[in-house]
Amino acid sequence: MKKIIEIKNLSFYYGKQQILDNISAEFAASAITAITGPSGSGKSTFLMTINRLWEELNGATMSGRVSLFLDHEKLDIYGRDVSLSWLRRKVGMVFQIPNPLPMSIYRNLALPLRMAGLPKENFGQKVETALKQAFLWPEVKDRLRDDARTLSGGQQQRLCIARAMILEPAILLLDEPTSSLDEKAAREIESLLLTLKDQCTQLMVSHDQAQVKRVADEVMEMVAGRMS
Amino acid sequence: MTRVFDFLLYIFAWISGLILVGACGTFMVFLLTQGLPALSFDLIFGSTGMWDALLLKRVVSDGLLPAIVGTFLLVFLVLLTALPFGLGAGIYLAEYAGKRSKSFFSLIFDLLAGVPSIVIGLFGFSLTIFLHKHFTFLTPCLLISALALALLVLPYLIRSTQMALEELPTSLRLTAAALGADQATTIRFVLLPQAAAGIFSGIILAIGRAAEDTAVIMLTGVVVSAGIPRSLFNSYEALPFYIYYMASQFSDQQELQQGFGAALILLAICGLLFTLAWLIRKKITARLLYHH
Repeated sequence: MKKIIEIKNLSFYYGKQQILDNISAEFAASAITAITGPSGSGKSTFLMTINRLWEELNGATMSGRVSLFLDHEKLDIYGRDVSLSWLRRKVGMVFQIPNPLPMSIYRNLALPLRMAGLPKENFGQKVETALKQAFLWPEVKDRLRDDARTLSGGQQQRLCIARAMILEPAILLLDEPTSSLDEKAAREIESLLLTLKDQCTQLMVSHDQAQVKRVADEVMEMVAGRMS
Repeated sequence: MTRVFDFLLYIFAWISGLILVGACGTFMVFLLTQGLPALSFDLIFGSTGMWDALLLKRVVSDGLLPAIVGTFLLVFLVLLTALPFGLGAGIYLAEYAGKRSKSFFSLIFDLLAGVPSIVIGLFGFSLTIFLHKHFTFLTPCLLISALALALLVLPYLIRSTQMALEELPTSLRLTAAALGADQATTIRFVLLPQAAAGIFSGIILAIGRAAEDTAVIMLTGVVVSAGIPRSLFNSYEALPFYIYYMASQFSDQQELQQGFGAALILLAICGLLFTLAWLIRKKITARLLYHH
């Protein structure tokens, strides 16, 4: 197994409350690893330690080490020389509730490219490719200027996956990406995630055991801040 | 009991709305009936020909044109000087300031908002006297008025920017951060476009305040008759001062009506500036959020 993420002795506190308790784990590259467990066991917090998104929240602290293996190099993501912007472009994230930005469908996808400082000439092509990859292009190609919030829940979540994928991340973190969607939309997202497996490693938090069986290559369970 | 309270609250809210609309309507009807008969080319251009006046070939000494131009210049200069600092301070308070500095600066800006305009005017006047000692050419003028008015409207701009940014959901910031945006990029590309409506309502308030305030300008540079100012260091005319002057010094009914005419023109100018601000906001928002 070629590993891409290595976690050592990871503990996380929110105020005085311990959320993650001395977790050590490794995750395989180009695979979908499902993280299951009861509500409040720290699954979402665990995901946020891999792209350091928890640092945007006040009152949280952590200890331990999270390393990524990218381009044949081991990188401590909490090292001083690691840029947060760079890290979050390498480690994309999709949230539980679809969160398109309140702007057009096109702008939602072009924004990460713009923020990454990529040349504007290529935006159109990249947007089209990302939407095609997310099986969304036929549904939105004539309404790219429409507000992204006018899409259905399933379409919005596929847009968010396309947005996370547009910068070609090595890892995609998925925090219960189908829990707010109906069965049909959830199945569409599952198919999409399976097609993306070759392009990036996926860590998916899920409560749905049937879904875990359908899509996950590996399963890890988290109970009371500990992983097994 | 709850149903009775709900009903009473509904009636109270309804009557409050009605009183407001009624008062506004009555005021408009009063102003229109008083001001409309006075409106004419003569009121604006006096005995000077329209084109001669507009092309600045001849000075308008008995019409409102210099006051109209003075009011526009004043609003423009106030926005030019206050807007960057208002936006900057609002962004600082909403996005960068720590708890302590936020409460300290908030207190200062609240105090500034509570300062009566006549005191700001006095401050501008004292500043002019002080500066005149060192720069003898500097007397009460358009620039001093604009700077003093900028101080007056600054709290509106700061507060509206701060509130507009703080009201945005945390999920927007998290989404942008998850896409690799640093704080400055998030503010520029995500938060400011979303907060545009709130920020522009502050700008509209500032425009209204700059266009109508009399206390500040009467101590810092406005005069009854000066013509169109040739530079920032000239004294100037402005509509609110003209209205005040006419209302307090009128010698006959016709002069009082001219005051009402000027009030109507001032109201129209404010309406025009509000519409312009709204159009600019719409255009900017559409461009930032929906165009390719």
